[in-house]
Parts: sequence; structure tokens; C-alpha cells
Amino acid sequence: MTTEQNPQIYSDATKAKGEPVIELTDVDKFFGDFQALADINMNVGLQEVIVVIGPSGSGKSTLIRCINRLEKHDRGTIVVDGIELSDDIKNIQEIRRETGMVFQSFNLFPHLTVIDNITLAPRQVRHEAKDAAEESAMQLLERVGIPEQARKFPGQLSGGQQQRVAIARSLAMKPKVMLFDEPTSALDPEMIKEVLDVMIELAEGGMTMIVVTHEMGFARAVADRVVFMADGYIVEVGTPEHFFTNPQEDRTKLFLSQIL
Amino acid sequence: MTTTAPAPPRQTRMDWARKNLFRSWWSGLITVILVPLIVYLAYLSLRFFFVTGQWDAVRVNLTLFMQGTFPRDEQWRLISQIMIFALAFGIGLGTNSAASQDRAEDAGLDYERGSIAGTLARMWSLVAFISLLLFFASTDDLGNFINPFLVVGGGLVMAAIGYQAHRFPRRIRRVGWLLTATFLVLGFQVVSGFDAGGWLPLSIIFGGAVYGAVPVDRFDSAWLRFALRLVAIAVVVLIVQAVYRAVDSPGIGWDKWSGLHLTLMVSAIAIVLAFPLGLLLALARRSTLPALRMMATVYIEVIRGVPLITLLFMGQFILGFLLPQGTVLSAITRAIAVMTLFSAAYIAEIVRGGLQALDKGQNEAGQALGMAPPPIMRRIILPQALTAVIPAMVGQFISLFKDSSLLSIIAILEFLGVRKIIHAQPDFRSVAFAETLVFVAIGYWAFAFAMSRESQRLERRLRVTR
Repeated sequence: MTTEQNPQIYSDATKAKGEPVIELTDVDKFFGDFQALADINMNVGLQEVIVVIGPSGSGKSTLIRCINRLEKHDRGTIVVDGIELSDDIKNIQEIRRETGMVFQSFNLFPHLTVIDNITLAPRQVRHEAKDAAEESAMQLLERVGIPEQARKFPGQLSGGQQQRVAIARSLAMKPKVMLFDEPTSALDPEMIKEVLDVMIELAEGGMTMIVVTHEMGFARAVADRVVFMADGYIVEVGTPEHFFTNPQEDRTKLFLSQIL
Repeated sequence: MTTTAPAPPRQTRMDWARKNLFRSWWSGLITVILVPLIVYLAYLSLRFFFVTGQWDAVRVNLTLFMQGTFPRDEQWRLISQIMIFALAFGIGLGTNSAASQDRAEDAGLDYERGSIAGTLARMWSLVAFISLLLFFASTDDLGNFINPFLVVGGGLVMAAIGYQAHRFPRRIRRVGWLLTATFLVLGFQVVSGFDAGGWLPLSIIFGGAVYGAVPVDRFDSAWLRFALRLVAIAVVVLIVQAVYRAVDSPGIGWDKWSGLHLTLMVSAIAIVLAFPLGLLLALARRSTLPALRMMATVYIEVIRGVPLITLLFMGQFILGFLLPQGTVLSAITRAIAVMTLFSAAYIAEIVRGGLQALDKGQNEAGQALGMAPPPIMRRIILPQALTAVIPAMVGQFISLFKDSSLLSIIAILEFLGVRKIIHAQPDFRSVAFAETLVFVAIGYWAFAFAMSRESQRLERRLRVTR
């Protein structure tokens, strides 16, 4: 693959991988006077896995939180699966149903059992019948490897198990895209692998994913493209082998030298 | 291999005293001053209770304390009410604790099911108060008063019968709350009457049950679901109304109630009404609509800035001018309205505190799943926020219960106000003020303490699942 420094051109080049599911064009985001996202242009194709890395405060989380409108972007356009993100609440909810999100701090509902955590949204949003929703929830729990925990409460599970429940909960809405916001950063080291394994399996199954993470091993193994962000800008985009072995930008080299 | 902790050295009484009473010269000094003082105070109270106290003022007026000026020949209504409430209590305890046990066992947690005996032990203050009543009653000439031992015994039997609901199969047990609520309303209306105008509470309860039970899941159209539910509720309300119109048996309105019965009923009604109102106010205060937010804020701040007694007087003298011409509200109705509106402001602030304390990740998780704001609030935010504020909430309920004694100032003869009648009797015209006051204080304490204990248990039980 050729080395591209302009992310926009690069994205267009990979369009062949699948129809673009997410298109960000000239997106800016401010928190007060602080510019969290600057001039973001990025396309994500169907079944593509994008890993976003960068120093803290670089806007990685803000980027994916803008995609499902947990944060409102100030300029530019965001299109998810053909729907342009606007202030229309119906639009927003439709996009949120297409995109699952997994949080750093899990954000499971502590007052509900594992199975109720998973079936809540399908029953409330899609009005699935209880039995049907529980059946598909059990299938998801089997997929993430913890069907025996179905009737427990989140507080009884380990961090790794909780995060796997959170992944199952997102998948229950049958999203087209999964957004991961540092899914392993709050985990004890011995639990990181069990969560990453689930994510790898998901990627191999063809899920479109944007993953903000510090797990470089995961990026190397699974990512189709690695996006490096700093100070709100996308600094460099490339395939993992190119990105880790032959980074072009000084900012990227500095970052990689600090973490590797 | 198991190791045991070394046995603590045997402690003699001297060691204990040295460690706890005479650790230093000043702690010894405090002990020397306090111990005689406590002994003396204990002596004074015991002498008051058993020697000098003229408890006749309480003893011969027990019925007055309990039911005040409630018509004596309608007493069967009050006794029926006690029986029905006991039944409702038993059903609620049985089904609820069995359900908690199931949930805990599913989750692999230890759980001990609540029992009537356990509940009585937990509410020992109430048991003590009732025992005191029975003691007084047993030394009194029972006369035409219905045997209080039979009433208490009957209540326990009814509670035990209701408690058998824990044997119901799991699916049926889910209607436990429905049975409990229904019997609570029926118990109330045994006194207030099943007249044609009394259909509203049961309509709300059955309507709520039907709203959840209508099988609308299979329909995709929100309008169709809404319409189906509306029709079901309308049918239920019409049936309830028809039944009430058919029975139409008037009772004793609450303008004729008094004594402890009135205190308990007024407090319960005000609590039941103030809670949803406070909840709505809290949500309004956090609303994104500025007008709504401002109205809620102004209401809450005005109410919280004015003493309850002032509001009660205003309720008696000013409320009449604000209502449409010809509307006549009894003093008690107006007092209940004022207490409800007053408590709602405080409850709103308590709920708001709970909402603010909740991690915003909970809301975000709901949003990210594509849920709309109302279900997020109902299914994710409120259950957690309300659990978190149980202690403060029960504290507010307790203070509402005790504040109901202010009604005696606006000439309503509740538990405290009954003393006016007693001390107008020739026998007790200017004697035994202390005895009647102490008795009333014990009564308030018994209920308030039981509420406080219950809130601690509720808090613990809901935390088990965290």
C-alpha cells in the first residue's frame, strides 16, 4: 500500500473495502474555547476495523462520541449509514440504534441483572417480546463466553466479565457499527485479554468497528487502518505494518517512542 | 492447615471498667459526675411511670386517643379497617420477600426471607406501644369497648393469612402488589365509604396494572400501542365505576375522624400524594424547558421558605378565596392539601439530589442504546436515584408524620389534639398534663422509630444486589 499523508485521499483509496458506513467531513468540535476536534475528515467502510490512538486529550474519545451524538459537533457533517446527524431527535435515535458503544467504565445498569441489562433496550426500543429478547440475549452471552452469569448483578462480576456483558448489551441492538471507547483501560491486566478476544472475534465476524485503545498488539493484529490523533487533528493514517514500522510524521514517531 | 486467631485475654470487670470508664483522670471525672446523674434521672422516670404518674387520664381515655370523636356505633368500620390492613400487610410482606428470595437465589446470593415474627421484632417499638395499650386496656373496665386483645389477635391472624401468599407460584405472585394496594384502598374505604365518588384510587391501581399487562409488544406502531392501552384502561375504569355506583354505600367522611386514626390516615394520604408530586417537581426543575424549570424552582423555593404552620393557617383562611365559588372543603381536606404541597417541595429537592449524584455514564449508556429520554428516566435513572435517597426520603416522611401534630393548632383533633377533650373532662381538668403528653410522645416515637428501622432495612436490602 502507498503511504498517504492526507487522510481524506487515503480513505477514498480504501473505499473498495466496502460502502462507506461512516463519513466525517470537516468536523470541528469545541469545548468552550478549547478545540477538541479540528478539521476531521474520515470515512469508515463496511466491515472495516479502525483503531484510533494518540496521547490523552488528543480528541480520540470525542471523535467517536460525536458519531453517536453523545457530544454535539460544531461544524462539518457526519453521515452514518446514509443518515446525516442533525438536531432532529428521531435522526439521532436512529443513528444510535445503528451504532453500539462500549465505554471505558462499562456503564452497566447496576440495579438490573445481566440478562435484564441486555434485554432492556431491545424490549424498550424495539418492543421485542420478553421471551424472544431473553433468548437472543442468552445467545449473545454465550458468544462472549459467560452464559452462566445471566441472573447475576453487574456488581458480582469481574471487570472483564462486566465489559463482556457491555459488549453483549450493545450487540443486542444489532448495530451496524461498534464504537469502543478505551474498552480495556479500566481493567486489571489479567482481564484485558478476555475482552480483546471477544473484540477480535467480532472483527473477524465482519463487524465494522472504531476502537479507541492503547492496546498496540490489538491494533497490529486486527486493524485495517490505524488513525493517529494529536491536539484534535488526525496526524497520520496508515495500515498497521506501515504505521508501526515506518511512521512519517515526527509527532507520530515521538508518540510511538514513548509507548513502545 | 487452619490457624485460629489467638484467644483474646480474659477480661475481668475491673479491666473493662478501667478501659472504658477510667482511662484517664478526666474520663474518670466525667464518669464520677455522669453515673450518679444517669441513675438519678432513671430513678425519677421510673418513679413517674410506676408511682407518681396519674395514668388514669390515659387509661380511661384510650378509645378517645385511638379514634377521637369518631362515632362510637360505627366502630366496626375501624376494626374492619385494622383487619383488612393487616391482611394487606401480610400479602405484601409474603409476596415481596418471596420475590426477593427468588431474585437473590437466581443471582447466587444468600437471602433470608422476611417473616412476620422477624418483622415484629424489627418493629419492636410498635409492638411495645401496642403492648402498652393492651396493658392499659386490661386494667380498665372494658365496658362497651370491643375487646382490644381480640382486635390485636385478629390482626395478627389476618397478617398470617395474607403472608401465605408467599406460597403462590411465581407467576401469580407478581400480582402481590396489586392485591396489597387493592386491600389498602378497600381498608381505607371501609371507613370512608364505597360511595359512587370513591372509584378513583382503585381505577388508578387497576389502570396501572392493565397498562403493563396489555400484550402490545407485537405491535410496532407506537400509536396503536398507545390506543390499545387507552382502551384497556377505559374499560377498567368504567367497570370500577359501575361497581362503585352499584354498591354506593356511604361511610364516615374524614371530617368526622380524629385521634391516632386521623394522624395515621392524614400522614399516609399526604405521603402517598406528595411523593409523585415531588417526583414531578424534581423532573420539572431539571427540565430543558426554561418556563417549566422556572415555575418548579419558584414553587420549591417559596414553599421551603415558609413555615408549615403559616401555610396551614393560610390553607384554612385563604384557600377558600382561591377556590371557585361554592366549593366547600372540610378543614381536614384543606390540611391534607397543604401538607401534601408542603412535603412535595422537600421531596423534590431530595429526588433532585439523587438525580444529580448519579453517574452520567448511566444516561449515556441508555442514549447509546437508542433509548428515548422517558424510558431512560423510568427504567435506568429513577430506580437508582430513588434507591440512593431512601434515607432522606423516609426522614421527610417521618417529619411529615410528626408535623401532622400541628393540625391540633388549627382545631383538628388528631392524636395530640385529643388532649384538649381529655383535659376538659371534670376528672382531669388541670391534672395529668404530663402523663397524657408522655403517652402521646411514646405513640409518635413508636411509629417514627419503626419507619426509620424499616428504611434502614430497605436500604440494606436494595444494596445487597449492588
